[in-house]
Amino acid sequence: MELPQRELAVLEAASADEPTPVAELASATGEKPETVTGAAFDLEERGLVTVSEDTVADVELTEEGERYHRMGLPEIRLYETALGAGADEESVSMGEVLGAADLDGPEVDIALSNYARKGYGEIESGDLSANPDADPDTDEEAAALDAVADGEPIDEDVREALERRDLLVVHERTIRSVTLTDDGVDALMAGISATEAVGQLTPEMLASGEWADVAFADYNVEADAETPSSGKEHVLRATAERVTDVLVGMGFEEMEGPHADSEFWINDALFMPQDHPARTHWDQFALSEPSAVDELPDDLLERVESAHREGVGDDGDGYHSPWTEEMARGVDLRGHTTSLSMRYLSGEAVGDLEPPQRYFSVEKVYRNDTLDATHLLEFFQIEGWVMAEDLSVRDLMGTFTEFYSQFGIENVRFKPHYNPYTEPSFELFGTHPRTGEVIEIGNSGLFRPEVLEPLGVECDVMAWGLALERLLMLTHGFEDIRDVHGTLADIDFLRNTEVVY
Amino acid sequence: MPVVDVDPDELRELTGHEEKGDDELKDDLFGIGLEYEGTSEDGEFQLEFAPDRLDRLSVEGVARSLRYQYGDASGVYVPDTNDAEWTIEVADSVPDERPCVTGAIVRGVDLSGGALESLIQLQEKLHATMGRERTKGAIGIHDLTMVKGGSLDPDTTDAEASNSITYRGIDPDGDTFVALDDDAERTPADVLTEHPTGQTYADLLDDYERYPAIYDDLGLFSFPPVINGRRTEVTENSRNLLVELTGTDQWTIDRMCNIICYALDARGGTIEDVTVSYPDTDVPKPDLETDEKVVTHERIESTLGIDLTEEEVLDLLGRAGLGAESEVWGEQGIDYVVEIPPYRTDVLHPVDIVDDVGRAYGFNDLVPRYPDVSTVGGRTDRSRLERAVRETLVGLGHQDLLNFHLTNEDENYDRMRLDPGSDVVGGGEPATIAEPYSEDYTIVRTWALPSLMALLENNTHRAYPQDVAEVGFAAERDDSNTGVAERRTVAGAVVRHDASYEDAKARLQVLARDFDVELATPETSHPTFIDGRVASVAIDGEDVGVIGEVHPEVLVEHDLEVPVAAFELRLDALAE
Repeated sequence: MELPQRELAVLEAASADEPTPVAELASATGEKPETVTGAAFDLEERGLVTVSEDTVADVELTEEGERYHRMGLPEIRLYETALGAGADEESVSMGEVLGAADLDGPEVDIALSNYARKGYGEIESGDLSANPDADPDTDEEAAALDAVADGEPIDEDVREALERRDLLVVHERTIRSVTLTDDGVDALMAGISATEAVGQLTPEMLASGEWADVAFADYNVEADAETPSSGKEHVLRATAERVTDVLVGMGFEEMEGPHADSEFWINDALFMPQDHPARTHWDQFALSEPSAVDELPDDLLERVESAHREGVGDDGDGYHSPWTEEMARGVDLRGHTTSLSMRYLSGEAVGDLEPPQRYFSVEKVYRNDTLDATHLLEFFQIEGWVMAEDLSVRDLMGTFTEFYSQFGIENVRFKPHYNPYTEPSFELFGTHPRTGEVIEIGNSGLFRPEVLEPLGVECDVMAWGLALERLLMLTHGFEDIRDVHGTLADIDFLRNTEVVY
Repeated sequence: MPVVDVDPDELRELTGHEEKGDDELKDDLFGIGLEYEGTSEDGEFQLEFAPDRLDRLSVEGVARSLRYQYGDASGVYVPDTNDAEWTIEVADSVPDERPCVTGAIVRGVDLSGGALESLIQLQEKLHATMGRERTKGAIGIHDLTMVKGGSLDPDTTDAEASNSITYRGIDPDGDTFVALDDDAERTPADVLTEHPTGQTYADLLDDYERYPAIYDDLGLFSFPPVINGRRTEVTENSRNLLVELTGTDQWTIDRMCNIICYALDARGGTIEDVTVSYPDTDVPKPDLETDEKVVTHERIESTLGIDLTEEEVLDLLGRAGLGAESEVWGEQGIDYVVEIPPYRTDVLHPVDIVDDVGRAYGFNDLVPRYPDVSTVGGRTDRSRLERAVRETLVGLGHQDLLNFHLTNEDENYDRMRLDPGSDVVGGGEPATIAEPYSEDYTIVRTWALPSLMALLENNTHRAYPQDVAEVGFAAERDDSNTGVAERRTVAGAVVRHDASYEDAKARLQVLARDFDVELATPETSHPTFIDGRVASVAIDGEDVGVIGEVHPEVLVEHDLEVPVAAFELRLDALAE
């Protein structure tokens, strides 16, 4: 058998009869202790030795312990002074004895509290008596202090007592010891020669050709290496990218537009009545600075106001709600990205659109809410719409069924729903890919004529929306949304999440 | 969205379908848009639904919808009403802020066994929805036997003419009454400060000089929109009721009144008109007129994506609780003239009728199909650039971050040693939230580096290096139409025990190389960074960002014990 030199040296220095500590092996072989440890583990892998671990406690005097070791424990000094004052015959005044014992400050309390405990005497109403039978020479604590100072072992109970008195500190350390196995003994008997093993392959070896003459030390190829510091795309961003891939593949083009926008584009164009409960400050993020836009598109504004007041079509009705331009000019952080859909459908974003069209966005929206495990103040909304002649509810169902199936969500159900801006409207429900639970996965519908006519759209438009975070939590089973999104994120969580593709 | 508690046993009784199991009922409810949320302690279904069908805010309304859905009822039902015996006189003193009033008398109703509870729930839910928390419309329901009709004309002794009550405005301290759940005479003003319900609704009357009040011959008995008087309190034994509503919009309170009347009709009540008497005209209420809209056969078929016969459509309309007559014209044209019952508040356009037909048909019985529409997909230039920059930074070992856009002034400026309104990167004035819930999130961030620092602060217990980066959003105020200049920003930080300016610069150089732009870093000063170790980021000659070693004061402020070298620049500077 051949072994690297350092392993062979350790093997030869070790014994089969009793464990040899690494430190001893190090001095026997002349290697560093860490080299010996490494070699020992390698030998253990080969089955030639076993490595055992013992925890030993190194005991050391504290500064205070050191002082008492020199001067004597305060209670013993007190006792000896008390004897000198005749307290073994008759109680004496405590103050007198303390003065004579040269105790002051915290030592007074220490002396008094241990005095009675150890049976050196009694303290009663300011008088102190001494027990004539007490013997300071048998004081275990004093003896232990001396023993520690001399590097000798001490009793466990006494050690704990002195630790509590802060007179000792204990440092624990691990001592590894090596014992030959039967295989190790056999191998030594059979004879082992040292190999000229090389650890690291170097550029010099390659250049000189030396590599051809050396043996490479075997590595433990099963051992884990240290994980390098690396970057990773954020898991939620990766999910957004995945959604984008799917939608682009389904023929959708991406939209973009302002986060801070007028209520006109966010709500009025969507046929949301101005006294709708969701339009209060408590649900949306109205801005105080700036508080209003300078201009809105005049013609469109007029048509939208008319839809709100009078409805559209021959026998359409409007809302019985107040409507002011002032409210339409208010600036909000958008509560949904349907504001982008409105800008695109109106021609404001990229000019007039002819059917057919498909558009989407995966962008931030904002809700005035309280941050908790399932609610964020800002999240990503997936928004998509299809514009074509004669779209039906079945087309809507087919589109969304296809989209969700890309994420493993099957059996999509459509619950008839109400939105001010779509009719018919549906909440989408799907089956959780892992738990099998039925959960809400989106909101959809065909835009109402009161939305489309003012925008100048003459064909059908179906639209839907969904929170990206919800999709991620569904597909990955995350439980606290704050882990996933925002400045409260745990960087290790981000480092360790499975990649999304 | 509103949640209504409905007793399933009562639902079975009112629909006449005792055989329906709980699960079957839940499925049927889902089909008409009511989502089962759970069961209350009393064993009632908690049903969540969207606020369009406010007539379903009570068990009576839900039962009516199910009976239509089951085919047990069809077409429009309008209860018969008896002639008016009572008059609501509208005085000139009625507050300008609350001019509208309506009402009804309901006789012979049975409120025992849960019906009263259901009525109270209906009233509360209507207040919360259509009534806009009682501002737009508020309902008062009274035991009619406790109301004593006064006379319009003090000289008349005619029994009919003497049944009159008055809606008027009074001085806030102009009279006293005993409110519900109270035992002392108080003025309306005192009710607002001393009575719990009064305190809740006091805001509604902030701008009122005179308070709304309803009087009978014995005096003040209702203080809308706040609280009724104790005298006319409705109990399970009440048989005859006076319903009165006041508000800011006549249509709204008339519909709320109708929904109440239909619910009481389902409890065996007989509706009786009241006359609302203005100085110049008398109007009978409740207004149970039906509405009419025309929808074409073609629109129904094209929206639902299925073929239907005329008979099928008529049947479905009937099962939706709508009346319908068909008119055939030309070769295949069919119009349906649809009659809409007076409890519906949501039918604004023929599409709403198409939706009703779809619900009656059962939307989940429709077979999905992928639309035969061809379009070409694609991303915006910006989002492609964002992705490419993010990938480059990740390749350099930066952990990609997604931080909140919302923050507060302390995080965004103070803790970065920055003053709002200073002419450096991040120093612009912020877009500011008007009424934030949380003081942690009051502005939109003007730059992304504070978000990176906040994340690092939250992760001091994690292993270093923590090189991080974000390609994200920032905004500051400007003179544009919206008053906000929005931009995408690229922020990166090298965070390790030996991080230095050079590390950050090296990364910027890679970005500049990969995106083929010319990078220069002329010296500058910025309070977030150490003087002499900070530079402007100039791309192709334009100043687009900042790079430097973060000032120790900022590091200590964020509990960091490692140096941070960072940069931030506009994304569009890297665009072609």
